[in-house]
Amino acid sequence: MRRFRGHWEDWRRRRERSDYFHERPGRSHSGSGSRTREDVVTPPLPEQAASGSQMAMSVDFKTYVDQACRAAEEFVNIYYETMDKRRRALIRLYLDKATLIWNGNVVTGLEALNNFFEMLPSSEFQVNMLDCQPVHEQATQAQTTVLVVTSGTVKFDGNKQHFFNQTFLLTAQSTPNNTVWKIASDCFRFQDWASS
Amino acid sequence: MGRNNQPKFLKRRARGWGIYRRRYSNWSEEVSSGIHPSSHQQQDGDPETSDAPVDTAVRYAPYAIPPCHRRVTFQKQGQSHINMEREQKPPERKMEGNKQDETSGTWFKIIVPFGVKYDEKWLLSLIQKQCSVPFTPVDFHYEKMQAQFFVENANIAFALKNINGKIWDKNNERISIFVSPSDAPYSVQKELKSEKVKQIKLLTMNKRYDVSQQSLEVQRLHFDPALVTLGVEMVPNPRNDTAASLQIHEESMLKLFPLNLSNMKPCQLAGLSTTMQNASNIKNLNLASNEVKSAGKLDKGKGLKPEEMSADRNSLCTTFPDKSTNISSILELFPKLLSLDSQESRPPTNFGIEAHKRLPTCKGSFFESDALKSLVLQFLRQYYLIYDSGDRQGLLGAYLDEACFSLSIPFNPEDPAPSSLCEYVKDNRNIKKLKDPYLRLQLLKCTKHDIVRSLCVLPATQHDFSSFVVDQWLQTERVLCFSVNGVFKEVVGKSQSSVRAFTRTFIAIPASSSSLCILNDQLFVRDATPKETHSGLFIPVPTPASSSVPTLSQEQQEMVQAFSTQSGMNLQWSQKCLHDSHWDYTKAAQVLALLKAQCKIPEEALTQTDPGS
Repeated sequence: MRRFRGHWEDWRRRRERSDYFHERPGRSHSGSGSRTREDVVTPPLPEQAASGSQMAMSVDFKTYVDQACRAAEEFVNIYYETMDKRRRALIRLYLDKATLIWNGNVVTGLEALNNFFEMLPSSEFQVNMLDCQPVHEQATQAQTTVLVVTSGTVKFDGNKQHFFNQTFLLTAQSTPNNTVWKIASDCFRFQDWASS
Repeated sequence: MGRNNQPKFLKRRARGWGIYRRRYSNWSEEVSSGIHPSSHQQQDGDPETSDAPVDTAVRYAPYAIPPCHRRVTFQKQGQSHINMEREQKPPERKMEGNKQDETSGTWFKIIVPFGVKYDEKWLLSLIQKQCSVPFTPVDFHYEKMQAQFFVENANIAFALKNINGKIWDKNNERISIFVSPSDAPYSVQKELKSEKVKQIKLLTMNKRYDVSQQSLEVQRLHFDPALVTLGVEMVPNPRNDTAASLQIHEESMLKLFPLNLSNMKPCQLAGLSTTMQNASNIKNLNLASNEVKSAGKLDKGKGLKPEEMSADRNSLCTTFPDKSTNISSILELFPKLLSLDSQESRPPTNFGIEAHKRLPTCKGSFFESDALKSLVLQFLRQYYLIYDSGDRQGLLGAYLDEACFSLSIPFNPEDPAPSSLCEYVKDNRNIKKLKDPYLRLQLLKCTKHDIVRSLCVLPATQHDFSSFVVDQWLQTERVLCFSVNGVFKEVVGKSQSSVRAFTRTFIAIPASSSSLCILNDQLFVRDATPKETHSGLFIPVPTPASSSVPTLSQEQQEMVQAFSTQSGMNLQWSQKCLHDSHWDYTKAAQVLALLKAQCKIPEEALTQTDPGS
C-alpha cells in the first residue's frame, strides 16, 4: 500500500511539474519562434511511469488515450484545412523522411512530397469519421506515436467526388514546453479507386 | 382653391415659415390638395411633348428639391436609372424620346394625390363617370399617399387630365388627377417579356455576340437601345442581366469563351457565382476597370474557370503593395489561369502548372518488397481463416498483450442513424462525433482478451480474399504497418448475406521470421456499393490442401482443364471459379475477365503448382 502511495505521489508531482493542468489544446502561439501555424502542438506529455504498478500504468494509459485523441482531432483539422487552403504549407506537417502511399503510388521524402502536392489539383475535403489509437512504445523506440484513421469525401478540381480513407502515423517531437506532432507515414486511398 | 382646402398639417407647417407660405399661396392654383415636392412638374405641358426632365423650373422654389437633386422625374419613373457606368449617357434620353413617339401602346400613369383615402371601386367609378372617354385602368395600386393606375392611350390620358379638379369626394374636397407618361405597368411587362425574349435574342444578343470571338459583351446591357425600343424594362439587377444573357446564350450557343465584365461595380460581380454555374466554359474573363478592391470580392466568381483574365485598372491591382501576392491570390481563386493581363510570360511556371494538374493514376496493392508482400499476404490468409471460421477465439494468439483495437463506421450527415450497420453501432468509435472522454476510452479495447471478446460478438463473416487491396505503408526493424481494403459477406443474422466493405489497419510486430503479432488494429466498416457487391468472386480463403471439393464428372474435369489453360489460373482456382458460376463456362469466363480488369486475381490463383490434380 505504501509502495503504491509512493507511486501516486511521484506521479502526481510529475503531473504538476509538467503543467498538465494548464493545457491549452493545440494552439499556443507563444513560445518558440520557429513554430508556424501549421504545427500541431499540444502540451507536454506526462512522463511514463518507469515500471509502475497496475494502477499507475492504467492512469498513464488513460492520459495517453486522451492526449492521443486531442492531438488527433487538432491535427486532422489543421491537416485538411492546410491541404485545401494552403497547400504549399502542407509538407511542414511531414517528417523529413516521411512516406506517402497515395492510391498505390509511393512518394518518399520532403522534396518528392512537395512536388506531389503541387501536382495535385485543388481539393475540398470533408471528414466524416476520425478514429485514433496510441501506439505502444515497443513499436516506436520510445517516440510517442499515434495512429490516426480518417474517412470522408474529397473533391479534387476537375474530378468527381470520391470517398476516401486515410491513415496517418503521427510522431511527437517533445520539447520542455510543448509537443509538436508530425506525420511519419501517410496512406491515402479512394474507396472506389478502381473506377477513377 | 383657398386655404380652407388645405389639409391641416400644411397650415401648421406654413405658420412658421413666412416666405414659404407666400410661395405656397402662389402655387395654390396649381396644387389643390396635398403637396409633393416633386409633383409640381407634372402640370407642365402635354404628356406627349414633355420628354425632357423639368430642370428648367419656372418658379423660384427655395424649399423644393432643386432640380439637380431630383432622383426621379416622372418621365423616367420605372426605368433603370441606377447606372452601371459612371457617366450619364445622353443617348439614353434620346431613346426615351423615341419611345414616346409611338402613341399606340404608350402608357401613362394616372396619379390621384391622397388617393389612399378613397376606396378603389368608388374612385374609379367616379372618374369613369366624369371621363368623356371610357377606359380600363391597369394595375391600380396605392403608393404612399397616392392612388395610381395606368392607361394605355394618350387620348384617355388627356381626357383624364381634363377631369383634374372637376370631381369632388364625399367631404366636398376636390380630387386632383395628375397624368404623366410612363413605362408599361409591371403586369403588362411580364406578359410581354416572353414574347420579347425572342426579339431580344435576335436584336441584342446577336449584335453583342461576336461570333468570331465568341464573346458576349454584357456591359450596359440593359441600356441597349434595342431593349429600350422594345419597351422592356430591365431592372438593373446584375444577376438578372448576366443570368438572362447567359441563359439565352446557353440556348443558342454552345460555348462562351470570352466574357467581358469590365466596367461593372464589384457588387455586381456577386451575381456571378450563381449565374456562372451555367458558364464554366468561360475561358476569358475581362474584369478590367472594375472597382474590385480585393481579391476577396472576386471570390464570388469562383465558379468560373477562366484561362485568361484582365484585371487591369482595378484597385485590386494597386492596393496590394506586392503585386505577386496579388497575382497569387487571384491564382488561388482561378487556378486554371493561363494569362493575366496579357502577360503570359510572367511567372510562366505558375500559370502553366496550374492548368495542368492531374490526379495520378490509381494503382493496386503496394508492397515495399516481394518478401514483405508474401509475409503480409500469408498473415492475412491465416488471420481471416480464423476470423471467418465461426470461432474467433483462435485469434488470441495473433495479438500482443497490450494490443489496441477499435472499430468505426461512416458518419453520414444526411443520415446520422442508419439501420444497416446496426451491429457495429454500439462499438462505433468516431471521435469526430464522440466527445465524451470516458466513452472514448471505453470503446478502445486494450488488452488482447478484451479485443477477442469484442471480435467474437461481431457478426460472422466471409471475407473475399480476391477483393483485398493492401497498402503496406511502413516498415522499420520494429514494426510493419499495412492497411487492407476489401469486402466481406455477413452470413447469419438479420443482415443475411449483406455485403460490407472494410478498411482495416494493422500495426504489427514481427514475432518470428515468418509471423506477425498485432499491436494496433483499427477496423472501418461501411456498406458495399453495388459495384463492389457484384464484382467479388467470393472465393473463401483457400486452405492449402482443400479436399472439400466433391469428385467431378468427366465433363466438369474437362471444363476445369480448359478453363485453367485459357485463364492461366491453376486447376484448383479454375475449379472454384467454375463451381461458383454453376459450371457455366461463359459466365465463369466473364467473371474472370472482370476480375482481371480490376487486377483482383490473387497470386495463388496463378501459381501452377497445385497439390495433386
